[in-house]
Amino acid sequence: MKPEPGKCGYCGACVTVCPHARLELNNQVHLKKGCVNCGTCIIVCPLGALKLEE
Amino acid sequence: MKYQVVVVGGRIGGSISSLFASKNDVNVLMIEKQQEIGVPVQCAEGTTAGTFHTLEMKPLKKYIANKVKGAELHAPNGTTAKISGGMAEGYILERKIFDKHLAQESAQAGTDIMLKTTAKDLIINKGKVCGVVAEHLGQRIKIKADVVIAADGIESNIARLAGLNTLKKPYEICSCAQYEMVGVDGDPNWLKFYFGTEMAPGGYAWIFPKGQGVANVGLGIRSTEKTAYAYLEKFTSKMDATPIELNIGGVPLSGPMEKTFTDGLLVVGDAAGQVEPLTGGGIHTTATCSRIAGEVAAQAVQENDTSASFLKKYEDLWKEKIGDTLDMSLKYRHVADKLNDDDMNSLAEFLKYNNPNSLSKISALKFLGKHPHLLKHLKELL
Repeated sequence: MKPEPGKCGYCGACVTVCPHARLELNNQVHLKKGCVNCGTCIIVCPLGALKLEE
Repeated sequence: MKYQVVVVGGRIGGSISSLFASKNDVNVLMIEKQQEIGVPVQCAEGTTAGTFHTLEMKPLKKYIANKVKGAELHAPNGTTAKISGGMAEGYILERKIFDKHLAQESAQAGTDIMLKTTAKDLIINKGKVCGVVAEHLGQRIKIKADVVIAADGIESNIARLAGLNTLKKPYEICSCAQYEMVGVDGDPNWLKFYFGTEMAPGGYAWIFPKGQGVANVGLGIRSTEKTAYAYLEKFTSKMDATPIELNIGGVPLSGPMEKTFTDGLLVVGDAAGQVEPLTGGGIHTTATCSRIAGEVAAQAVQENDTSASFLKKYEDLWKEKIGDTLDMSLKYRHVADKLNDDDMNSLAEFLKYNNPNSLSKISALKFLGKHPHLLKHLKELL
């Protein structure tokens, strides 16, 4: 998973659905180690600020 | 640093919890990660008179933008039904001012408030929450507490750190985007709701008038098609209005989390899922639960028992007040999730001629007899 710089609206919707608790809201969304690229957070992000890592 | 009660989060859940804890003579600290209470707004700002009854406050002019008589429901095919009074009647708040007012009341009751202070971790001793580790302007500080109240919103870091299950499925989160706009036409006495898979799949769009042509124009969706923002752009594209604010957020539609307390910790508001699953409305429910949280926390401190078995009282009390309402609302949401656009059109046609506040069983049954698809889903509620 890759947060797209400048797009995050700091709402925290992604954090609450991350099945592995790998996302943290810290002024902007921050990805901790261990993301499995499952894409769950993409579904709820109102601004489309997250995309899958290729 | 040591306080009897530490509240994490300074929006309505935090301010109301801290206010009612302070009113009951315990020393309280509320920490807020932003540098100002009340921003950014993540809310359509509508609420009912019940909120003010719960808070024992009068609805003051300074934070009431507008009063509304009822709601206009717009079906996908354009059929419009008007519902007045009851739950549809209420106020549109100016949340920035309302939130600040609540924090002010809390501070006047004795709460200390720290801004730009983010809770990073919990202090846990022998399985009991005993405080928070926070960061303030780059400095780590340990704040010991007898009770911690987690009012930290949808991301609810604190509840998860305490071992409570906060994980939501994506379909349990309504992804929302809203503009506050200037130059919005229409009668300011009515809320407007728009339904349909084209407009807002898995949710609805709204226009909440704030008076003088200003309104919150937003929507919530549950869909993998496009982002909430993309649907908002489409919804507002034909309006001759100008945005002055963009709000985004996720609203929990799951109903309350399984357990809202543990040793030394209470969870309130969005963090606890205390939001009506059908409508996504959470101001009144949060006000009710947060008041109880503040009062129970204070009582726990005074009786020197902040164990889970004492704090369970919080959950018993909030369930007694609004447990049934939230359960029912979740049932309605499950039914609403199954309705297609044709069902919504039929329902709007029915509501156009039948006021739901004075509905007769005979007219409802006659209507359902003509719409077997709707009956199939609605019978779960009967």
